[in-house]
Amino acid sequence: MNLHFPIFELPAGAEALRGEVREFIAAERRAGLWQRGGDFATHYDPAFSRRLGARGWLGMTWPRPYGGQERSTLERLVLTEELIAANAPIAAHWIADRQSGPLLLRYGSEAQRREFLPRIARGEIFFSIGMSEPDSGSDLASVRTRAVKVDGGWRIDGRKLWTSFAHLNHYAIVLARTGHAGESRHEGLSQFIVDLKAGDLEVRPIVNMAGQREFNEVVFSDSFVPDERLVGEPGNGWRQVTSELAYERSGPERYLSFIRLAEAALQCAGARPSPRLREALGRTVAKLIALRSMSIAVAALLHKGAMPNLEASLIKDLGTAFEREQVGVYRALRTELAVPSAEYLSALAETTIYAPSWTLRGGTREILRGIVARGLGMR
Amino acid sequence: MTGTLQPVLSADPMVRDAAGRAFTDLAADWFRHEATSPDDGARTQKRRSVLDAVAELGFADALASPDAREAWVDAATIIRAQARSAAPIDMAVLLATGDRPASIAGDPSVYECAIDAGAPADAQAAIALALGRCLQICAAMEAALDLSLQYVRDRKQFGRPLASFQAIQHSLAIAAEELAASTALSDLALACMVREGCASVRLPGLLDAAALVLGHAIDVVYDASHQVHGAIGFTREYPLHRHSLNLLRWRDHLHRLRSGELRSAERLGDAALQAQGVWSTVTALMKPGDRHD
Repeated sequence: MNLHFPIFELPAGAEALRGEVREFIAAERRAGLWQRGGDFATHYDPAFSRRLGARGWLGMTWPRPYGGQERSTLERLVLTEELIAANAPIAAHWIADRQSGPLLLRYGSEAQRREFLPRIARGEIFFSIGMSEPDSGSDLASVRTRAVKVDGGWRIDGRKLWTSFAHLNHYAIVLARTGHAGESRHEGLSQFIVDLKAGDLEVRPIVNMAGQREFNEVVFSDSFVPDERLVGEPGNGWRQVTSELAYERSGPERYLSFIRLAEAALQCAGARPSPRLREALGRTVAKLIALRSMSIAVAALLHKGAMPNLEASLIKDLGTAFEREQVGVYRALRTELAVPSAEYLSALAETTIYAPSWTLRGGTREILRGIVARGLGMR
Repeated sequence: MTGTLQPVLSADPMVRDAAGRAFTDLAADWFRHEATSPDDGARTQKRRSVLDAVAELGFADALASPDAREAWVDAATIIRAQARSAAPIDMAVLLATGDRPASIAGDPSVYECAIDAGAPADAQAAIALALGRCLQICAAMEAALDLSLQYVRDRKQFGRPLASFQAIQHSLAIAAEELAASTALSDLALACMVREGCASVRLPGLLDAAALVLGHAIDVVYDASHQVHGAIGFTREYPLHRHSLNLLRWRDHLHRLRSGELRSAERLGDAALQAQGVWSTVTALMKPGDRHD
């Protein structure tokens, strides 16, 4: 078996940043600027994103000419894990900072980097993902949205689905078919930066089970995208999309979605904590240490230029299964708490209703297990 | 930044003096005797003699020296390789049972008596043993999974290899994920040992975490590897049983070295309650301490 997660220690500089981030979060909370709640995919606050940008905490690993701070991947990991562990409102900038920016840095033109990256880093513009379609969920290669070359640009026709915050964000990176699929079905796909505020596309709301509007459907009808908004080479879309996956699947957001509930339960332990609660908290700590160690390994491998897609998929499956299981653990402990606080009850309701989305977003568990199985030589 | 970012366990060749080498040998010997000796007077005698030798040579003192700590990297390699091969252990089981096809109920020596190894009086030696058990367990889980992967590729039913069935793929994928988490955790504990030594204040917490995560992973691997093998995996002639029996024995001993699975969980839970945070406890336990040179 060739699955290995090397052990990396976070450098001292990264640990120093942790204290800084915790102080920042504490100050924000003292000022009453936001409440704990939601997660990286739901808790949306552009003003908070701009405050992070002002501190140099967006696009912080990027080169300075593009608005970055040239900090290390592991420093970014410290920042994001602290923000996620605190349920800070990071949803507005999350996609731009995590994957759209790195995608442009890797495959974008010089003009695209100069146009978009500094604005992402200041928290001025936010991005959505334009991958899923009504008939293309897990089977991404089956996308039918089509871009046809015309004079000076491309005309796009088709529909994108589950496009989170397309009604608030500024741009989406849309995967569209531009040529023949070929035998692998991975050819003939291209990515475009689409201006969501342009008049010739429609953003329709989809309300989720929790009653929130996060999802949208984006409808393109003969929508024009200029040549300079094509990302990378035409037909290279599949490779570009899969290069985002390791970033998308291995981070702390894949094992901490429940953390608000565990922290709330801990705060309700009372003077003589129940042995059952003590045991549950201990098991939570144990699994988190293992997951975090693997997640740090993938961050370090990415930093070294590797593309650990298999390892990232493995972390996401293990981490999201753990998150979902934890909701049940802390629900059962309700009667073991001295007094269940309002925060515990709110966290319980929110994590319970959102839990099904955790093992879907960013790749379903079935797809992830298939990737792991391929890595093990079974397919 | 890039220059300093190296895997902790693939450090440059280390200077080792006689003490470090002696410790490597001792650790390897300990685990070899522990794993291979049948449960009879001779085994007990051997174990005692190893313990005596350790006591004479100052095992705890050796553990405290930087060279001995670094020798753990070597020891870990030996320990893992031995655990993976499992060949001598199979002999031990056969000796213990007199090669009779006895049931576990009829001949407790297969499993129950094999776990009677207790915790050494020396607390630091107990820490070292627990770490060794973690390394052995991960190696044995890997060996069991490798056997399973080979088997499902070779074995055909309904006209195609078992590996082509999605239910089989997912079952072994989940087991591999649990193994990956276990290995990450025991490597983390090993890195802590190498860096900070037996007296590290966070090593007991990492070993408690490992006992919990590995303990669960063994259930998943034990279940999945036997399930995909069918009846052949449940025989003495096929090698899977060596790894399975080792896993069961070593898990019991690991938990005993940590004074019980629930105690491990409660200690970590108490640490979180003390720190008033789950997440802050995780980051604190994973933050490298000072090198103890």
